[in-house]
Amino acid sequence: MEFNWSPTEQALRARVRALLQRELPQDWEALSRHGPGSRAQTEFSLSFCPKLAAEGLLVPHWPQEHGGRAAPPWEHFIIGEELWAAGEPRGPQYMNVNFIGQTLMRYGSEAQKAQYLPPMAAGQSIWCQGFSEPSAGSDLASLTTRAERHGDAYIVNGSKVWTSYAGLAQTCFLLARTGGPGKGGIAIFLVPMGTPGITVRPIPSLIGVGDIHEVFFDNVAVPESARLGAEGQAWPIIGYALSHERVGIARYAFSRRVLDRMVRLLQARGLFDRETVKLRAAQALAACEAARMLVYRVVDQRARGLPPSADANLARVAVVAADNAVADFCVNYLSDTLSGDDFPLHLSHHERAIAAGVASGAAEIQLNLIAHDYLQLPREARP
Amino acid sequence: MNFELSEDQRAVLDAVDRLVERHRTTLAVPERYHYSVELERDLEAAGFFDCMAIEELGTVTACASVMAVARLPLCAETATSSLIAPWLCPELPRPFALLWNRDAPTRYLPVARTVIRVRGDLVDFSSIGVEHVEHVDSIFAYPMGVLRSASSLPWKPLPHADVARVRNFWRIALAAEITGCLDAALASVLEHVKDRRQFGRPLGSFQAVQHRLAECATLVEGAKWLTLKAASTGTALDAALAAGRAQDIATRISYDLHQFMGAMGLTLEHPLHRWTYRVKLLRADLGGADSQLIAAAQAAWPETHNNAIEGIAS
Repeated sequence: MEFNWSPTEQALRARVRALLQRELPQDWEALSRHGPGSRAQTEFSLSFCPKLAAEGLLVPHWPQEHGGRAAPPWEHFIIGEELWAAGEPRGPQYMNVNFIGQTLMRYGSEAQKAQYLPPMAAGQSIWCQGFSEPSAGSDLASLTTRAERHGDAYIVNGSKVWTSYAGLAQTCFLLARTGGPGKGGIAIFLVPMGTPGITVRPIPSLIGVGDIHEVFFDNVAVPESARLGAEGQAWPIIGYALSHERVGIARYAFSRRVLDRMVRLLQARGLFDRETVKLRAAQALAACEAARMLVYRVVDQRARGLPPSADANLARVAVVAADNAVADFCVNYLSDTLSGDDFPLHLSHHERAIAAGVASGAAEIQLNLIAHDYLQLPREARP
Repeated sequence: MNFELSEDQRAVLDAVDRLVERHRTTLAVPERYHYSVELERDLEAAGFFDCMAIEELGTVTACASVMAVARLPLCAETATSSLIAPWLCPELPRPFALLWNRDAPTRYLPVARTVIRVRGDLVDFSSIGVEHVEHVDSIFAYPMGVLRSASSLPWKPLPHADVARVRNFWRIALAAEITGCLDAALASVLEHVKDRRQFGRPLGSFQAVQHRLAECATLVEGAKWLTLKAASTGTALDAALAAGRAQDIATRISYDLHQFMGAMGLTLEHPLHRWTYRVKLLRADLGGADSQLIAAAQAAWPETHNNAIEGIAS
């Protein structure tokens, strides 16, 4: 058991930090105020990610044939932790390197790999996920967007909602129903967002300008060659994708950084002497560090080649609690910083935190999974 | 970063688990606690209290063995014996009782052969026997007692004892014992809610129950790993954070576990109280969660002028 970083891991962290120091502009915190999906941050990612790629820090974990060097999981994780903690200068491109790329490598046709992987590895690729629908959120398998087969193409009709990054995405990782009800009737399509019949509308939201959208598909013609895997294969493919996204993004690392910053501000204001403030700060700190340990445990298992387990669900629940503990600390003791634009970091953290328990699967679904898969409790009867 | 135990550590902890399993069957009659001399004797005979001093095993193994033993519905003095005595006073006879800045009823005093006392910056000890201790009836699931006449005992200083170091390892020990108790208490409640049927189905099939238990499990696992990390790094911050976190989550978890055990959890027949009423005492130790967490805050974020001084010193 070893809870310190090896010299190699420390050197990698130092390299990433040096690169951030060098490449992030002076006004980065203001620029990244509205999060990874904002226009400013997405556009920044298109110049930043190629630099990461040039340093070998964008897809080190990918195999050599796709531009990586098959680096161990910890390496990609450390890079991701540092970048998310910095406010995610990869913008929406973190999704490509966390799981979309690997999923295409495993299930994509040669033509799909040739089309999509090189721009991802070059840091020039923006994707969105067409998953949630107005009537299919947590119950994703009930989605109704339809892809009807017509010869060697599909005609897609339906709508997606709360879709992050859709406004600027080049390609959509789309779930649509080709068959009957349930998980077995769903297929995945890789759909260029410029295809006629697709309309994107931003949704005014609490979580940053330009983050979430409605996406409408009105008789959108998609060639059969854009289907990822077979009809009805969506569910196992999503399972594979999620196994690469097991603990998701390193939210606790951003929260810890922001908490440190908040404490320094309180100290500068002479307000950190009060024991209650210290206590609350330490409670938030403990939540962040507990989440970090549970996430590290999952990465450790992955690094040792163990199969995915429900430990990842525990990690995600802990991460959501940590994000909220830090956001609440700010609301309690630094509420003035949440008005105006002097503290963009506090604002962007607040917005990431309130989405933490909702984005990429509600925390309550994680609790269900813990109950069934980790605690071995009997399933609740469903109507 | 590596979460895997070494082969040596694994072997020792497997042996602890086997020993613990052997003692699991010796559930005594309904009583508020059961102090097991036999368990202590077996632990001592197998050398489990020496783990910390053995380089290949170290504090992590000592800490994990305290956690493992705490899972039993019995109690045995393992915290001081495993995590403090090996470096503070290896030659003194165990069991130990540790008095920290006060004369309140203290666990293990009625069974201790050595009492260690911390007063300000001083650490001293005395050998004691049953004649020096008054047994105190208590709600807590430990043998509790007070010294009859502390001033008449032959106290001797432990001159090289660093109070900060004692506090660090005491915090790690507290965290280990609390998380071990909570883990076992949770397991006993899980068993109950799988078996107990109401409204025609197991209690554990209700989502209201599932979500709270899932949250409890997440809290316990997080606290457990913070504790192991603290044992591994030994830093003041990690130790304070681990103990503070364990003490902080204990209240909510104990409440939920007793709720789901229902009236059965109010009886002495079910062992749930053997864990939760140890935790109730432990969570107030060293000033409780607030003290540990405030100490963690001070370690994590020293005031700026201190930083400046440290900067010059280094």
